[in-house]
Amino acid sequence: MPAYEFPGGIYPPERKERSNQAPLRPAPLPSEVTLPMSQHTGKAAWPCVNVGDTVKTGTLVARRDGMVSANVHASISGTVIEITDSVIIIQGDGEDRWATLPPLDWRTTERDALLERLDDSGLIGLGGAGFPAYIKAQVNEHHAIDTLVVDAAECEPYITADDLTLRHYAADVLEGAQLLARLCGAAHIIVGIEDNKPEAIQALQALLTVIADSEPLASVTLKIIETRYPSGGERQLIKKLLNREVPSGGLPADIGVLCHNPGTLLAGLQAVRDGLPLVARVVTLTGDAITQPGNYWVRVGTSVDALLAQVGVDDEQLHQVVVGGPMMGTPLTSLDTPVTKTTNCLIAATKEELPPAPAEAPCIRCGACESVCPAQLLPQQLHWYARAENDAALEAHHLFDCIECGACSYVCPSAIPLVQDYRSSKQRIRYKRIETAKAEHAKHRFEFRQARLAREEAEKKARRQARLAQQQSASSDAKGTQAVPVADLRSLRIAQTAAKAAVRKAEKVLARAAAQDPQQRHDDLETQLATAQENLKAAEARLAEARAASEQKEAP
Amino acid sequence: MRMMHAPQRGKAPSTAHVMRWVIAATLPGLAVMTLYFGLGVLSNVLIAALWAVAAEALILRLRHRPIWPTLNDSSALLTGVLLGASLPPASPWWLIGVGVIAAVVVAKQLYGGLGHNPFNPAMVGYALLLVSFPTHMTPWAPPQPLWPDSLWPQIMGTLPTSALDGLSGAKPLDALKHKGDAVLASEFWASSPLPEGTLNAWRNIALAWLAGGVVLIVKRLISWHIPVAMLGSMMLLSALFYASDTSHFGSPLFHLLTGATLFGAFFIATDPVSAATSRQGKLLYGAGIGVLVILIRNLGGYPDAVAFAVLLMNLCVPLLDMVSVPRPVGQATARADERKSAP
Repeated sequence: MPAYEFPGGIYPPERKERSNQAPLRPAPLPSEVTLPMSQHTGKAAWPCVNVGDTVKTGTLVARRDGMVSANVHASISGTVIEITDSVIIIQGDGEDRWATLPPLDWRTTERDALLERLDDSGLIGLGGAGFPAYIKAQVNEHHAIDTLVVDAAECEPYITADDLTLRHYAADVLEGAQLLARLCGAAHIIVGIEDNKPEAIQALQALLTVIADSEPLASVTLKIIETRYPSGGERQLIKKLLNREVPSGGLPADIGVLCHNPGTLLAGLQAVRDGLPLVARVVTLTGDAITQPGNYWVRVGTSVDALLAQVGVDDEQLHQVVVGGPMMGTPLTSLDTPVTKTTNCLIAATKEELPPAPAEAPCIRCGACESVCPAQLLPQQLHWYARAENDAALEAHHLFDCIECGACSYVCPSAIPLVQDYRSSKQRIRYKRIETAKAEHAKHRFEFRQARLAREEAEKKARRQARLAQQQSASSDAKGTQAVPVADLRSLRIAQTAAKAAVRKAEKVLARAAAQDPQQRHDDLETQLATAQENLKAAEARLAEARAASEQKEAP
Repeated sequence: MRMMHAPQRGKAPSTAHVMRWVIAATLPGLAVMTLYFGLGVLSNVLIAALWAVAAEALILRLRHRPIWPTLNDSSALLTGVLLGASLPPASPWWLIGVGVIAAVVVAKQLYGGLGHNPFNPAMVGYALLLVSFPTHMTPWAPPQPLWPDSLWPQIMGTLPTSALDGLSGAKPLDALKHKGDAVLASEFWASSPLPEGTLNAWRNIALAWLAGGVVLIVKRLISWHIPVAMLGSMMLLSALFYASDTSHFGSPLFHLLTGATLFGAFFIATDPVSAATSRQGKLLYGAGIGVLVILIRNLGGYPDAVAFAVLLMNLCVPLLDMVSVPRPVGQATARADERKSAP
């Protein structure tokens, strides 16, 4: 099948050979882990253990808060020694005793149980954005999904985590893809991979023939694409593989596609088949300052400093450590930072390797940025507007279509940190959006409070009615005092259905908003969802009360 | 959250690097021009470059801007070289000075420096001189030996004697312009109106500029869009004129190989700062220049028109940038509708 083209793109030096020579191996068990409560898109998780508690590897230590959030599990066995607003610190006992969930067979288990498992195991997208997987798997409740794309392009230089994952776990990744294809109802699976990973391609090709014979749930196709940054961008890859364009401000689901990273698929399968919560991930440790570069299974929460020390780092040569790839990653300001669920790569770079950017020169409007922009934006115009803080013009020039790939900064002859400008402009605009809707948010919080009070009231009444009914059936001589007309029962049932629909709608709106802009805060939508949930509970309580009352009436 | 620059940068040539390469690419053109018109060409360029650097340093000092980092980007030097190459050989030193100051100080630095100038600096200087000092700008000495009679007039600030002796309008475009309506083109050329070898000289100079321009494109220091669009539209329009009346209008080839056509297409029109930015915009910008050049040459009052055409299109750049917004991936339309989101 032909590969279609996305516009723009660049060919940075790949430098993948530094980390893809050694086989995947486990990193030494850390003696202490620091588990951030916010490793994912959405609200931070809420600690559910106390200082001094003994935990096993896989014990739930923080529960998701709201819909767009994710559970956090202990990644080593030991004792909780500190809980702050943002982290839980666990001192390891060195034994690595596990607490796993019961294994499930994804082919026979019900869909809801599988979704619950993805939720319980704290699974989020491991490619970078960290979007909760259980929400993404439910997207077909609102959109028909026909194709699951396995994004194995891994277009960023240096990173080889997906490559090594596929070499070692190709069968599991494809099975994980079948699992998620089943959940989202996709009939096709397309694996998109860049042609610079021959071994992973070979592993996949060997499997494809086996899979075709076994009559899989979803057909599997492998597409090998040219190595060009940023072909691994969700929108770029979908364009390249399927020639479909994700609408601006939309999601791949709008055009019937769901994208998953191989690591996520593997972790999803492990969560279901083996009952393993997400406590470890594959991290590429590379860069010229590392003595034993390669890919390691690293426990979430391991300190970067300790990890680098364990694999050996040349402190004299070390200039900076970058989390993520060289194009989109962030230099660490402190090495005392934990590896999180979304840390796919750590580059311990020397000064020669990733030299500091030269001083910025004035923009000469050369247009080099425009010709490499994969989103077909005008980076240079955006640059002027970003510097002028002209937010109206920024939005009119589709700032939020920018995927922050960094191709423009890469080619800029004036060394202008373009992406940095765009990121801070986006942050400013996001903040402004929240500010302008503040009154609205206050109203929603008030509504939530009202709904909670109404729900509590309704539940109280329902309990009282239930008690009454029980007493009456015990002493059957009492008279029915509160007659409930049948019509009333029906309207309550309608109210309950409406409340259910409102919850579903609020869930959909929130899931969509969070997927569209994972970096925006969606507290307001979470509040609205909570309000709808309170309303539903109240409606259910009222219905239960009325039912009890009507039974009571019929009883004598 | 602290925002940081992406760690990796490409080996993209820096602005200074681009400027120096463009200066280097003028060398074939300058060499061939010197070969035909003598050392007056080189002395022009030298004097203009000195003026440019001095003027830039002075204005930066007055603006309290760092002098050395800005001079180091070589953009002033390039402006000087381009303006020097456009002037009649051995032009008076003060004439060059006036042009360069108009270019570097007024057209560039007073608008905010490199990157902020709406007009092509070298062409602002050139147009000013052409309008203000026509007697100094129009005469162009006939081809002469490498060693001119004397560079003395240049230093003294007077017109070179060869220019005074020579025919007025010794450039082919001037000659054709002033042939008069009664004379047919064929008769005019048959009467050998130009000094021996003039047409050849200009053709070879044009080809030398072309060679430099091709180097720039091959090295990806300029994009092909503007030169191709400009030359393409010139060829097309001049062919239409020529087809309509062969007796009065120059052939496409004549327009291509005379005057500042190829020099302008590769070295003047491609100035990124004052040109349109998107690829589509560049094509429109280049095509507009080509159309204007031919219109002015064939119908207007000036024999050559690259400077005016470039400046006129500079005026259109904000408009071009607005209409040539590419369609962002995933957007239904290309246009950035500012009214929609304006408060």
